[in-house]
Amino acid sequence: MANRITLADFFSQHGKTLSLEHLNQQVSLERSLTTAQLNRPGLELVGYWDFFVPERIQVFGNKEIAFLDSLPDDDLYDMMTRLFEMDVPSIIFANNLDPKQMILGRADEYGIPVFRSELSATDFMGKMNELLSSEFAPTTNIHGSMVDVYGIGLLFTGRSGIGKSEVALDLVERGHRLVADDVVKIRREGTHVLIGCGHELLEHHLEVRGVGIVDVRRLFGIRSIRVQKRLEVMVELAEWQEGVDYERLGIEEEYTTILDVDIPLVRLPIFPGKNITVISEVIALNQLVKIYGENPAREFQSHLMEKIKEQSELREYLSRDFE
Amino acid sequence: MKKTGEIVIKNEFGLHARPAAALVSLTSKFDSQIFLIKDDTKVNAKSILGVLVLAAENGSTVQVEAEGEDAEEAISQIKELADNHFGTE
Repeated sequence: MANRITLADFFSQHGKTLSLEHLNQQVSLERSLTTAQLNRPGLELVGYWDFFVPERIQVFGNKEIAFLDSLPDDDLYDMMTRLFEMDVPSIIFANNLDPKQMILGRADEYGIPVFRSELSATDFMGKMNELLSSEFAPTTNIHGSMVDVYGIGLLFTGRSGIGKSEVALDLVERGHRLVADDVVKIRREGTHVLIGCGHELLEHHLEVRGVGIVDVRRLFGIRSIRVQKRLEVMVELAEWQEGVDYERLGIEEEYTTILDVDIPLVRLPIFPGKNITVISEVIALNQLVKIYGENPAREFQSHLMEKIKEQSELREYLSRDFE
Repeated sequence: MKKTGEIVIKNEFGLHARPAAALVSLTSKFDSQIFLIKDDTKVNAKSILGVLVLAAENGSTVQVEAEGEDAEEAISQIKELADNHFGTE
């Protein structure tokens, strides 16, 4: 799980997006960020330091700068010393504001990187927050294959050699899109969305037993792949076992939990001659129908109940028809 | 039964395709679930692509985790294979 990133890495990946300029280049960027939270130090500047979290990047906007400009040099010096003594990871000036030379001098002395951004403080905080949240998002690797089937992200799991990759290949052949094979990286966005993608080294390679490693993108072209997809259903493949109760109605839904998010789980028993590919398409379509607010199994059930009720009412009516 | 161990990659070019194939063919013989962990990445040791993803270089350390009846035997044989340069070179 990624729980830290160096400023250097963050800056090289996102510096352009955030239009960041590193003002004191002699200061090293090898410090690590350990939190996705940011802070605008308004309250601290007026002297309220309770609850101050020094691990956060400090963002200065128009307000903060105007306040700093209003301070006598001695007070500004003390203020900056106090802030930098906390060893904040970095300070950033929004709105392309130029920090006073004295602030830069103090930052150099404490080895605190100072950046400037062309964005307004609000825009900057918004974008930066989004980028940091995704850097610090909880992640996990799952051994399986992930395919986008009719727009539904299906994750196939099961023991090695059960045929996950073969199912994925078969689905690709039918026009669906491979997200990842073998190593599926899952990350959580917000509180209940899981996104699956492949490993950067593997991309869309896939192993077929007896053939070896093949590149799906090269064989089937760009339309056969996608880089990432929301994970919506987990399909667990297992050999058919005598005595195991498999779902027959589909009225109750089973769930599994990945990174604290509940994901519908379908346990699929497999045996020779069973077409897992078509069943996978049905699973995806059925999920699609459920997303649109319908549940065919439950509707069938309530239809049946109505019919039974009607018949019993008729039976009762007739049973009282004495002659 | 869960067992853990550690191997050091001694192959000059690291854990590339051929040594990985040798490793996977060994791990596949065991009933235990076997995982390899390097840095933050944990992969299934019975999957060739999984093992390749580790991109384990010469001198690097890889954790081995096995769970099942034959876990102990699996780990000791994996260690032996690693010490023998995965039967290559």
